[in-house]
Order: sequence, then C-alpha cells, then structure tokens
Amino acid sequence: MSGESKRQAARERIAAKRAAEAAAAAAAARRRRVVLGGVAAAVVLVVVLIVVVVVQTGRTSTSADAAAPGNTTGNGYVFAVGSADAPVTLDLYEDFQCPNCKSLEDRAGSTIEELVADGTVQVHYHGMAFLDTDANDDYSTRALNAAAVVADEAGADAYEEFHDLLFANQPDEGGSGLTDDQLVDYATQAGATGTDVAVDIRNLVYGEWVEKAEDQASKDGVTGTPTVFVDGDQLASDQLTADGIAAAVQAAQG
Amino acid sequence: MTGAGPWLATAARALLGVVFVVAGALKVPDPAAAVRAVRAYQLVPEPLVGPLAFGLPVVEIAVGLALLAGVFLRTAAVAAAVLLAVFIAAISSAWARGLQIDCGCFGGGGQVDAGRTAYPAEVARDGALLLVALALARRPASRLALGGHPHDQIQHAETEHADVR
Repeated sequence: MSGESKRQAARERIAAKRAAEAAAAAAAARRRRVVLGGVAAAVVLVVVLIVVVVVQTGRTSTSADAAAPGNTTGNGYVFAVGSADAPVTLDLYEDFQCPNCKSLEDRAGSTIEELVADGTVQVHYHGMAFLDTDANDDYSTRALNAAAVVADEAGADAYEEFHDLLFANQPDEGGSGLTDDQLVDYATQAGATGTDVAVDIRNLVYGEWVEKAEDQASKDGVTGTPTVFVDGDQLASDQLTADGIAAAVQAAQG
Repeated sequence: MTGAGPWLATAARALLGVVFVVAGALKVPDPAAAVRAVRAYQLVPEPLVGPLAFGLPVVEIAVGLALLAGVFLRTAAVAAAVLLAVFIAAISSAWARGLQIDCGCFGGGGQVDAGRTAYPAEVARDGALLLVALALARRPASRLALGGHPHDQIQHAETEHADVR
C-alpha cells in the first residue's frame, strides 16, 4: 500500500469519527430538547390543572345564606309526613319529571299513605331535579321549587298533597312541562294560598336550595329515581311495588 | 416511512384527539354536574370528588390536543390508553354494583332513570378506543405531526416514554 493511500484511509477514519461524534452530539441535543419540552409541558399542565380546579371549586360553592324553605326535617332537604313516633322510616327520592316515579306513585302511593295513616311509617320526601331540559323549561327545578314553596307556606302535609297532584298530572317527558300558572293552581289546591306563593313559584325563590338538594341526594348515594330506603336499606328495583314496599316495611318492623 | 401505516396513525390521532378534546370540553361549563357524575360512581372519597371532577377534563383536553398536534405522541397515546382503561374499569364496576348512572363520559352524568343505563354500549365504545390508543402507542410514527421529522419519531417517542416512566 502506498503512503498516499494510507493517508487517504486515515483521513476517512477521522472523517467517519467526526461524523459519528456530530451525530451523537445532535442526538444528545435532541434528547435535551425533548426532555426540556416535556418538563415545560408538564409544568404548564400542572399550573392549568391547579387554576382550573380552583376556579371550578369557586363556581360550585353555593352561598351559605341561600333561601331555604321552612317545615323541613333533619338536614333541611327532607319533608316528613306521618308520626315522628312511627317505627319505620321510608325515604323516597323522586324527580317530578321522572316517569318511573309516577308509575311508582300510581302503583304504591296509596299503600304508602295507608302505612302513614295507621302510624307504621313516617315518609321522608326528598326532591330531586336532574331532568331539566330546554324543552320543559327546567321543569324539574321549577316543580321542586314550587313544592318547597308549598311546604314553607302550608307545611309538609301540603307538600305531600302537592306532590300527589304533580305526579297525577305529570307532563310527558320530552314535552314542555307544566307552566308556572299550572304550578300555582296546584299549590292553591294543596292549600298554599298565601299572597307570596305565586311570586315565590315564578321567581324560583328556592332555586339555589334545589341545586343543593340535588347535591345532597348525590351525597346520600342516590344515583337514580325513584330510590326508596326502608329504615336506611335501599330497596331493589323489583321491590318497588305496593306489595314489595309493604313487605319491606313489615320486615323492618319485625 | 412508506405505506399506509403512518396515515392510519394520523387517522387514529384525529379520532382519539377529537374524542378527548370534546369529552373534556363538555365537562367544563357545568362543574356541579361534573361533581355529581364523579360522586355517582361511589369510588372516590368526598374530598377528592371535586379535584377529580375539575381536573380530569383538563387532562383529557391536554391529551387530546397533544394527539391532534402530534407532539409527545407516544406519551399521549399511552396516557389516552391509561385513561380509557380507568374509565372502562369504573363503568364496569358501576355496572357490576347495579348502580343506575350515566357514565358522564361527555358531560352530564350522574343519576338516570332506572332502565336507562347504557353500560354495554359505553364499555364497548371505550374498549374500541382503547385498542386504537394501544395501536397508536405501539406505532406512533404518523403524517401531519408537529413533533419532529416523521422518520425520527419512533426514537423521539421512545425517549419521551422512558422519561415518563
């Protein structure tokens, strides 16, 4: 091999080495960029997370001095009907727009009222409002607000009366809901005749209380309507009949 | 970088990205509903319900945007797969426990009328998306991605992945 070709080979080796070093440096620089970019993105994500959580927490905290109806029992979201000495408590969670609640009322309402009348059961009515739509003009909320107005004005027994009227005259789901005028009429029939009743129904005076009632139901572990508890034990859906409820009350007395 | 693979990966990014951004964005306007949706699963203690309900949409939107833009692709695809696996587990657990809830996947959520649950459809949808996310995590190299030259992407993504782990 000539001296010239040796030098040529050496030059090529040096060039190859330099190219490899350059490639390694470029790869290292790229890794650095990726790591820096990843860290920056992670920091931005954490900051946005914290800001959003704080903002949304602020949006969901309701004011403590929101108007609440009178004649409630317990935590302020319960309307109790029947003797406080009754041996069995029946908790009933319903939405006035819920068709399955209406069918429960149609099937078992009179049985529940008999159990209340003979002193066996105290019913705790818990209103819920999660079936608001644009089409029904937030009927669930308007109906529960109206029911709270009735209770505040005329007591828990009037609440039950109004509750029965609203389920008997429940508007179609997907329809337009009852009007405020109709709610005022039913409130009058249920015995809430004060001068403020119509105003309070139209002005959603307990609107914020309705939202809090909805939150309370969610905290109570209620995830659907109708939900019925007999002395704290939730009934299965196949027990939601007149006979099923009567049997569960009987067993609770046992 | 020839053949249909990279374009399929782009389609997978578009599908997952749009689903995640939309699912996250729909949960932002009504935080009270988001809280109820999370609480309805009865899986997290009350003090964590709020932060989870408010934080999850941010993570979903971030993952969705990364997928759409094509940055941190493998990390984003793995994160999407993890989120979907958690969603499937949560929905299945609600189903198994006989809860009557809407998954709240696209806002809303919480209570539904008895007999209006849609667990099989919700699980099937999330399962299909999970398969797409796993495929994308395996082969993230795709067209129309901001995150560097397509040819480099596999190396890039592996580096990112290692960082995350």
